[in-house]
Amino acid sequence: MSLDPVQVMKVQDPMPSTCPSASNGDSQASWDDSKDIHENEDSTKKPKSPKPENAVTIAVSSRVLFRTEKEQKVFEQKGIEEYLRYQVEHENEPFAPGPAFPFVKALEAVNSRLRELYPDSEELFDIVLVTYNHAHVGIRLINTINYHNLFIERFCMTGGSSPIGYLKAWHTNLYLSADAEKVREALVEGIAAATMFMSEKQIEVSETQLRVAFDGDAVLFSDESERIFKAHGLDKFFEHERENENRLLDHGPLKGFLEVLGKLQKKFYAKGHRLDCPIRTYLVTARSAASSGIRALKTLRAWGLEMDEALFLAGAPKGPMLEKIRPHIYFDDQMFHVEGAAEMGAIAAHVPYGIAQKYPHIKSTNAGK
Amino acid sequence: MEDEKNCTGPLMIALQYNDLFDLDSISASTNTDDALPKGRAVTFVKAVQIVNERLVEQKETESLLFEVILIAKECSEEIKMKIVESVKYYGLEIGKFFFCKKEELINTLQSNKVKLFLSTDRDDVCEALHTGIPAAFLYDQCDDHVLSQLKVIISGDVIGFTEDSLDSLSDFGFSETQIETFKAAKICMKEFAVLIGQMRRKFGRENSPLCICVLTAWGSTNVCASALKTLREWGLDVDEAFCLAGAPCSPILAVVKPHILWDAGLHNIRDLSTHS
Repeated sequence: MSLDPVQVMKVQDPMPSTCPSASNGDSQASWDDSKDIHENEDSTKKPKSPKPENAVTIAVSSRVLFRTEKEQKVFEQKGIEEYLRYQVEHENEPFAPGPAFPFVKALEAVNSRLRELYPDSEELFDIVLVTYNHAHVGIRLINTINYHNLFIERFCMTGGSSPIGYLKAWHTNLYLSADAEKVREALVEGIAAATMFMSEKQIEVSETQLRVAFDGDAVLFSDESERIFKAHGLDKFFEHERENENRLLDHGPLKGFLEVLGKLQKKFYAKGHRLDCPIRTYLVTARSAASSGIRALKTLRAWGLEMDEALFLAGAPKGPMLEKIRPHIYFDDQMFHVEGAAEMGAIAAHVPYGIAQKYPHIKSTNAGK
Repeated sequence: MEDEKNCTGPLMIALQYNDLFDLDSISASTNTDDALPKGRAVTFVKAVQIVNERLVEQKETESLLFEVILIAKECSEEIKMKIVESVKYYGLEIGKFFFCKKEELINTLQSNKVKLFLSTDRDDVCEALHTGIPAAFLYDQCDDHVLSQLKVIISGDVIGFTEDSLDSLSDFGFSETQIETFKAAKICMKEFAVLIGQMRRKFGRENSPLCICVLTAWGSTNVCASALKTLREWGLDVDEAFCLAGAPCSPILAVVKPHILWDAGLHNIRDLSTHS
């Protein structure tokens, strides 16, 4: 996908700004930095970024925020020096949006609403670009961020070293990357993370309401029940769930993220926006409502977490349901489901956690839970 | 680039002996025959030596090497001996020793055309900058740091902001004196950046013993982009870049683990003024 080269000369401010500090003598058209200084309280300029520990920090890599397939090929086929040379050559050509782009745009929409209702609060989404790209690519990435009018003020370009240390330094609540290895590393460190892939088909998603969908087992909950199912089959699974109905499931890697989403949702409810809340959460599970689903619901309730919608599919394929929901992101531990979602054009992310990674789903059987 | 022809001679870095050796940990019970205990700068000097080794490996007659000189103020004859011995003991390659009086520090730096004065003392760094001597902060390395690279951080704020815009940093609680220090640093940085850029280009992207980073603590991504472009014009290709937009520096610095922090004190001050 090639775009016309864009001369990114002026900063595109999403909000109209008056510049108190003089830029009168500054005839430089490009990188007019006097406009970009963060102001403190009452300002009509770009808002100040929150402190990492107060915000819900979402770290995204450059390969999921933007489409960089062409450049990846150059890297794989011709090596790093050629790759960097290519990037610099195409510096003024912004990248096209990648799989995480709609998600990030939706986060910004939520932020605008939060800022309206709570102008002094730092409980916002903070998006940080964490990439192991070299700083050579930095100018092209910044150009692209400006071109798409994204509000990303923070980044780490680690020049090839592991980004994991930086994820911790940023108090990251969710890490999205194209690299499964890094995602696994993050999960091991206790950071919610998922791998995203670019699919050819993309259904339209809302620009005003952030929709996040979660699988149950091995995503929100531990993979305890998955293990039983994989080891002993469906009947044993049902038996186990019945016997343990009142025992809470252990938490999974994305429970924390659901929690912080819930906290932000409550801020909207507090100001009377329950019905038109710009954040909506969904549980999309192969469990069935009448039986195994009960344990899931009881666990969520005990954790004090509310989901807006819980969809118990009892083994039916998830794709059509996701097509209806149109989430900005759907987390599942099984590649089979992620691929199924992608086929329908839904944005799905793989959480490489739990037993499913060792025993991938065999496509022929579609057992109900 | 333009300055290619000017790259004669060594890149001289000056250190003070109290950064090289940890004098505070000498107690009454310390054996006076032992070498002085190691200070922060020892890992730095070792890292510098590795860069030099790699440069010479590539070209035996390489002239653009690091040279470290040691300055010691107000020393007794005894300590002077100790210093020279300890340097030898740790295998540190120190080019020259200067024993001088306190007031002579700046003169010594100037007359030796020092390209970089490194110190853990913020006041020394600021004073040097105000007299036009390139000076940077020697960052505290943990002892167990794996010495595979010499890491230099250059401030994206100092390079990326124009002179006029630097004044607006007062919005973040910086005093006029502090802002003057940033402006002084901006002028001094160029020569060092050009030289270190030439050195960096002698190595490839991967396996380089030298790593250059840009850290923009306050400025926006556009300020950072401006810094990257300016450094590129000066011939310095940056490896890693960080843009913090006001977030605390320390957690990030703890991961980057630089040796040299060229930011005229921006990182210290910021952790205080986040309470604005």
